Amino acid sequence: MFGKGLITGMRVTLKHFFGKKETFCYPEEKLPMPERFRGGHLVIDYKKCIACQLCSMACPNQAIELKVVTDAQRKRHLTSYIHHMGRCMFCDLCIENCAIHGLHWDQNYEISAYTRDAFDYEVLTDDDRQYLKEVMEAAAANPAPPIVPKKPAAPKPAEAPKPEPKKPEENKETEVKPNE
Amino acid sequence: MAGTETYTLNMGPQHPSTHGVLRVQLELDGENILSAKPIMGYLHRGIEKLLESRTYVQGVPYTDRLDYVSSMNNNFGFCRAVEELAGIEVPERAEYIRVIVAELNRIASHLVFIGSLAIDLGASTGMLYTFRDREEILDLFNLVCGARMTFHYIRVGGVNRDVQPEFIEKTYKFLEHVPVFMEEYKKILLGNEIFMSRLKGISKMSKETALSHNMTGPNIRATGIPYDIRKVDGYSVYPRFDFNVVTGKNGDNWDRFNVRYNEIFESAKIVRQALDGLPEGPFMAKVPKVLRPPKGEVFSRTEGTRGELGFYIVSDGSTKPYRVHIRRPSFVNMQGLNDMCRGYLIGDSVAAFSAIDPLMGEVDC
Amino acid sequence: MENLTVGAAAEWIRSVILLILGNELLTDVVMKFVGLGACIGVILTAAIVLTYAERKVCAFMQVRLGPNRVGGRFGLLQPIADMLKLMSKEDIIPDGCDRIVWALSPMLLFVPSALIYGLFPFDEGVVFADVNVGVFLLLAISSQSVLPFLMGGYASNSKYAFIGGMRTVAQMLSYEAPMVFSLLGVVMITGSMRMTDIVAAQAENVWFVLLQPIAFIIFIISATAETNRTPFDLVEDESEIVAGPFAEYSGMRWALFFLAEYANLLSISILTTTFFLGGWHGPFLPGVFWFWMKVLFMVFVFMWFRWTFPRTRIDQMLSFSWKVLLPLALVNMMFTGIGVYVWRSMM
Repeated sequence: MFGKGLITGMRVTLKHFFGKKETFCYPEEKLPMPERFRGGHLVIDYKKCIACQLCSMACPNQAIELKVVTDAQRKRHLTSYIHHMGRCMFCDLCIENCAIHGLHWDQNYEISAYTRDAFDYEVLTDDDRQYLKEVMEAAAANPAPPIVPKKPAAPKPAEAPKPEPKKPEENKETEVKPNE
Repeated sequence: MAGTETYTLNMGPQHPSTHGVLRVQLELDGENILSAKPIMGYLHRGIEKLLESRTYVQGVPYTDRLDYVSSMNNNFGFCRAVEELAGIEVPERAEYIRVIVAELNRIASHLVFIGSLAIDLGASTGMLYTFRDREEILDLFNLVCGARMTFHYIRVGGVNRDVQPEFIEKTYKFLEHVPVFMEEYKKILLGNEIFMSRLKGISKMSKETALSHNMTGPNIRATGIPYDIRKVDGYSVYPRFDFNVVTGKNGDNWDRFNVRYNEIFESAKIVRQALDGLPEGPFMAKVPKVLRPPKGEVFSRTEGTRGELGFYIVSDGSTKPYRVHIRRPSFVNMQGLNDMCRGYLIGDSVAAFSAIDPLMGEVDC
Repeated sequence: MENLTVGAAAEWIRSVILLILGNELLTDVVMKFVGLGACIGVILTAAIVLTYAERKVCAFMQVRLGPNRVGGRFGLLQPIADMLKLMSKEDIIPDGCDRIVWALSPMLLFVPSALIYGLFPFDEGVVFADVNVGVFLLLAISSQSVLPFLMGGYASNSKYAFIGGMRTVAQMLSYEAPMVFSLLGVVMITGSMRMTDIVAAQAENVWFVLLQPIAFIIFIISATAETNRTPFDLVEDESEIVAGPFAEYSGMRWALFFLAEYANLLSISILTTTFFLGGWHGPFLPGVFWFWMKVLFMVFVFMWFRWTFPRTRIDQMLSFSWKVLLPLALVNMMFTGIGVYVWRSMM
């Protein structure tokens, strides 16, 4: 009979009218994010970081801008780690490529901002800068012996100051390690 | 003497029912459509070129942005093409996981189809119900790969991470739920007389026309041609599973709807079989850190949710592809729009857009 | 209980005014204005209550929570917030529109919607104008709302609006006919076109929904079409012609359309109650309670339709009216005539 389907449909909507609702009052109730959730700001384990810049090189969009200094002991340190969130695809490649597994998300999904400038997020904290200062001073107090200019190393200085983001240096085959 | 004139109506690019930024130029005589001309390019991002300027591994997240409702299927297609090019053997467990997530994504995409067709026909409640159930799949994906839309889960050589036992458990629970919500859609949409009368016999397309327009996916299956790459090519581990290719009879919108509706059940069947037979082992092949496929070219096709998704990649032996071309099913299917609209009313044109199920991210690429 | 009726309230207001003015004639004139104010008050209150109700009903049927921010957990102040938003919006006048006709359309649309409230019997003796050709006048007034839609559609200088305007004419004219014929059955049984008589006839016997079930269904369907609500909302049809005649309006002008829509929704519910559900009659409770309970139930039913059904297509809708509803209404009228004749000769 024509109209039977209409009545059935009305029964369904009436059932839901009195039934349980599926939505949440968002700012008050927040859904928990799973452990693998990709999103938010990057967090770096600064004390472990060796400033190898692999994260920046792995990024398909050049969203990570690094500034690196070399201390008196010829160890590299990051002075600035800017995450351009407006360019970020949250693809996780930086985190997977991190040599020391020291990079992860803070899993905060409330990262919207009013201005575009707010998307240039500085990952390093004041504590990290303090730590950098201490390390630099400690290294300056105990400098490494100067390099014997035996090997001029033609290709190396050319690459070191200007890290090209997309050109990986090493060419040997290594197993891709999922970071778990 | 007053005469009548035809007139042109621009539907879109900003229009509530054009699925993004599709623009259709309708030539109208009163309410009757004389011709429909899709105009594309409002969402062009140059993904093919972007892929050419990135390494193979870096290219995978860009394929998420093609058909953003079924990103897993795009990742799958691209990774298969790269693997074929580089000769990478994918472990069995990875193949199973890929099939599971790809089919779950197919269900999610078809749910979006049902919902968007419902809202285009004015039944906004039906749309909310499908999106409610799609949410369960998105939560599953969030659990397994940490994203709800642009997954970047299937990688060259396998999958990003192994599935957790929690994911498997929850997927089984979701599969239990599939017949329940499908029954509800049947009550509110499929069995509804108004819904039926809006779709039956509208936008009819013969087998020959569909073939001549090179349509693929549910759109060609609705005309009665059982063309499904999963069966035709039997790629990945699909030949191991028992599933049917759903076909229609008349090639009208009703069949297009029903094909997708029933494909959800078939996909659920595949997911269940894959979960039951999920083998142990590695989930990632040994892929060189810097991938340099040998010189050559490859065309690899998979069954995307909207049809035959093909990736043509030319390698010059460097780390980046020399040329990438994507055969986007939505784009090709759009060719049928004129035939589906001509001779029908404005109201039917909206149903026709929905029934083709184009996704502008994929049409414009 | 006697003091709770609207009639008693009106008497009390009248006595107060009489005390102040001290002139019978002057008091009657003032009382007419009070009645007018009450009608407008009902419409404005209805718009506020019904927008909130629609949003909540819609949300609940779509497994959502609906408004829950402004005014506590249940979002009770949401209509006020909506109103403030609409008033503070920019008034955009489209280029190349016919300014005068364009500006007149929303106002004129509101006039017939508001005018018919004068004919509704809200309670025993509470009716602004108890005309002896009430039903006829009512249909005559309500059919005037076709023109403003067409005016808005034509004057907007937009193809979407124009298609919407043309659709309105086709739709409203086609559904006017079955609606009138379905009401004729009721009029034939009552033997009067006076609204109060129709209600009184139902109080004596049974509600007309039991005597005239087919007419009731036809009336409900054509009423849905007359108020442009789903499944017949082809006029504003957001997925095809964006918003039809309203497409180019913004701010308060658009709000007037909106107000008229809700006024129409309420008036159609009141009509259903009056013609088929026994008006204000009911046991135990005062009439006004019964009246509003029935009306709100009918409003809920119309909302229920809207949030369940898809939209029909224009050709299906028109052929449904002319090929199904109208013949059905005529057949119903014929059988009612025979029934009334037999009943009268038996008496």
